[in-house]
Amino acid sequence: MPVLYAFINGVTRLNAWIGRIASLLIFAMFGILLLGVFYRYALDAPTVWTTELTQFLFGLYAVLSGGYVMAHRGHVNVDIVYARFSPRARAVLDIITSVLFFLFTGAVLYFGGLIAWESIDSMETTYSSWNPPVYPFKAAIPVAAFLLLLQGLAKLFEDIAIALGRMTPEPDNAEHRP
Amino acid sequence: MSIELTTLLFFGSLIFFLVLGLPLAFVLGGVSVIFLYFTWGIDSFYLVASQIWGTMESFTLVAIPLFVFMAMVLERTGVANALYRMMYLWSGGVRGGLAIGTVFICAIFAAMCGISGAAVVAMGTIALPSMLERGYDKHLALGAINIGGGLGILIPPSVIMILYSLITGVSVGKMFAAGVLPGLLLVVLVAIYIIVRCYFQPELAPALPPEERAEWPEKLRALRSVLLPILIVVMVLGSIMAGIATPTEAAAVGVLGALISSVVHRQFTWQLLYDAALRTFSLTGMIMWILFAAHAFSAAYQSMDAQTLIEGLMANIPGGPWGTIIVMQVILFLLAMVLDPIGIMLITLPVFMPIVTSLGFDPIWFGILFVINMEIGYMTPPFGFNLFYLKGVVPPSITMPDIYRSVVPYVLVGIVGLAIVMIFPVIATYLPDRLF
Amino acid sequence: QDAKTTTWRVQSHWPTASSSYDDSLVRIKNIIEERTEGRLKLKLYPAGALFKAQQTFNAVKRGTIEMGTISPAYAQNQMSLAGIASGLPFAFRNVWEVAYFHKNLGFEDMLREEAAEHGVYYSTDKVYPTEMVVNKPINSYADFKGLKIRSSGALETFLTKAGASASYIPGGELYTALSSGVVDGAHWGAAQGAASMSLYEVAKYHVKPALNIAGTDAFIINQEALDALSEADAKIVRDALDEQFWYRTNEYLYLERLALSKAMANDGVKITTLPPEVQKKLTAVARESWDEMGKRSDKAGEALDKLENMLQQLGYIEAS
Ligand code: NA
Ligand code: NA
Repeated sequence: MPVLYAFINGVTRLNAWIGRIASLLIFAMFGILLLGVFYRYALDAPTVWTTELTQFLFGLYAVLSGGYVMAHRGHVNVDIVYARFSPRARAVLDIITSVLFFLFTGAVLYFGGLIAWESIDSMETTYSSWNPPVYPFKAAIPVAAFLLLLQGLAKLFEDIAIALGRMTPEPDNAEHRP
Repeated sequence: MSIELTTLLFFGSLIFFLVLGLPLAFVLGGVSVIFLYFTWGIDSFYLVASQIWGTMESFTLVAIPLFVFMAMVLERTGVANALYRMMYLWSGGVRGGLAIGTVFICAIFAAMCGISGAAVVAMGTIALPSMLERGYDKHLALGAINIGGGLGILIPPSVIMILYSLITGVSVGKMFAAGVLPGLLLVVLVAIYIIVRCYFQPELAPALPPEERAEWPEKLRALRSVLLPILIVVMVLGSIMAGIATPTEAAAVGVLGALISSVVHRQFTWQLLYDAALRTFSLTGMIMWILFAAHAFSAAYQSMDAQTLIEGLMANIPGGPWGTIIVMQVILFLLAMVLDPIGIMLITLPVFMPIVTSLGFDPIWFGILFVINMEIGYMTPPFGFNLFYLKGVVPPSITMPDIYRSVVPYVLVGIVGLAIVMIFPVIATYLPDRLF
Repeated sequence: QDAKTTTWRVQSHWPTASSSYDDSLVRIKNIIEERTEGRLKLKLYPAGALFKAQQTFNAVKRGTIEMGTISPAYAQNQMSLAGIASGLPFAFRNVWEVAYFHKNLGFEDMLREEAAEHGVYYSTDKVYPTEMVVNKPINSYADFKGLKIRSSGALETFLTKAGASASYIPGGELYTALSSGVVDGAHWGAAQGAASMSLYEVAKYHVKPALNIAGTDAFIINQEALDALSEADAKIVRDALDEQFWYRTNEYLYLERLALSKAMANDGVKITTLPPEVQKKLTAVARESWDEMGKRSDKAGEALDKLENMLQQLGYIEAS
């Protein structure tokens, strides 16, 4: 099933790529916060934008991580019973419990999309002193949910292949962590 | 359906799906969605997405990636390792010295940061490998980080205390002052526990082998390794106390300190920075998606009329005023096993506070009991933030059962601390009475 | 057979410790439930329980919840009049003037019309002042210019333009920032608000006059939910809200003075009045920011004209 593998690999690569870029936002948050402190304390001229911009970049950073973390098996679970099953049984279990995953991410995708749309529709700004637009950051919710959903689909296909015996599971998931 | 039954099913499904191995974030999110559907209808999913946006907008959470990044840099540049080597040399024949040192570092971390997650992940990265390398028992080490990480909400500044003040109307300054001594009490209790335990079971925390014990010159030389960490602590705490930065901004000052340290330690490379950034992204993402879903989960529970349950439980309690206080602590303890502190606050405090004040108890003292209870809750299974944050950083050889098991004695130590503050309210009220 | 009972979910923007939670929200709940003889019940949720304050307008508009309380500042994105509703700096001097503007000059009706376009019924809970607390007295314009003030929204812009160093600090960090000296002053409502955030512990000067006086708290109801009630019950709700405006506006004034007296007695707080030169300067800067608000829509322009007319008649401002 080359198409399936291509999908799984493609999605994982996409999320890894987005993660590599989004992870750099930490430098922006660090720099902007320090700049804010510098302006307020050293120059006695507080900025109106540093706190708000940091907050929004953090929101973007946090929400976009969903797919990346999943691609690296970084969403923690309880492995008390789970670890005792065979890889194939685990795959079957994951297929069953993925219903919850899809309900959650589906709800976030649709209703997050709605929140983003309401914001775009009214060209929402924060009405703070700086008054930046909010919609790019709200739009990150459905985008992130979509990326997470894709990664979840990739995992589902992988689990189905494993359950059917078409694919051997990776030896140790933990090795995948960056 | 009655709220009692709903509650049972709601938390029952949480535990059921957790055991089936689905990641916590998706269990919380999925269970919320299912229960919202049956109690309110599809339209209420708007609440789930809305809670995600609300969490994205919490400025105080910005401290998480910054402190995690700081820890990653300190770990990768060897600053952390040098610090633990020093602690090991100096603790010499004292068994458990590193675990006690870890709890002390956690207390310092707590004074720099108002939340719990950052400290747990940071210490899991810095302290755990150092202890395991030197033959420490994994349960002893994991538990120390679990309880130490939670100190962040008890030792000021504390976001939970500010929320408590907002919900109950007590003074923020008094709450901050009241948290100091109970925080130190917990540190001392944990240290006593570690010393006693290691006295009877020396194999849990090997002392430095006699042939490796260093002479004074080497010990003094090793002391240099504290300079950089102290520099960072001075920079962070100094910038908060001198009014240069807010606590969240101070986290960025901490990152600056870590970067300076890496240059001084001659370990600074761009690759190191990039690796640290990527790992920080992964860990922050893990934490944040748990928070996204946890906030949706408690909002969903509140929409189901959770307060009625608490009101019902409080209606007929035997045992007089003290019986009431104890029952409240038990309710908080049980809720903290399955809910996050902010949700617990919103559900219980509106019911508890009028009772507490009408019985003549000090709301500041009660607040400290509440915060200690939440700190314990951070590490009580099945759902404790610290447990999961720690799971995200530990090596694969450490499993969730290891982490669950590790907290048992430390939860007991926490309960002892809670009881002591309950019996001797002066521990909480001394400083606020003196300062205000 | 029992009459049909309806239950509304009501998301508040007040935490339970805020005096308005009991005095405004619980009060209206009790009145409505009593007058409808239990046919309409309100289920109250304190701040942040279901929706954050900024999202409550949309949640009510969509009908996810039937009712909420907000500050109009959170609805600016939807209602062009919300900027004026949440307060123009240094415009009104007394609370009764704002009440007159809302109820007698038709501003409340204009707000209702605009909210109705979103399927929302709007009713101002009360009008009250927003006042600053600072940690040192202000005796000159130089003193004012040297201040670092925690502010937000339109007032942040205004204070910056007026020469102070205003910046936004989230509520969760405000107390720490003020006590350590990151900022020298802040506004959080007026006296009751400052007391609720423990600001008087760390800032001993309460600044008069008010930065603004406005209808800063409001009820919003999903129109379809209101229409689904019997006409008699819907009228009970609307009338109860109208009465509440007068009752609460007056009561709040009383509570403000009570809170300030308490702070003066217990925390050693002093009232500092801005010197005339500073007030004059602030008023001049303020008028520029009013014009900005007036440009948001035709309606906003109309409301601003009405407001400036009134202030002229009162002799507060010159014709522009
Ligand atoms: Na802290
Ligand atoms: Na717990």
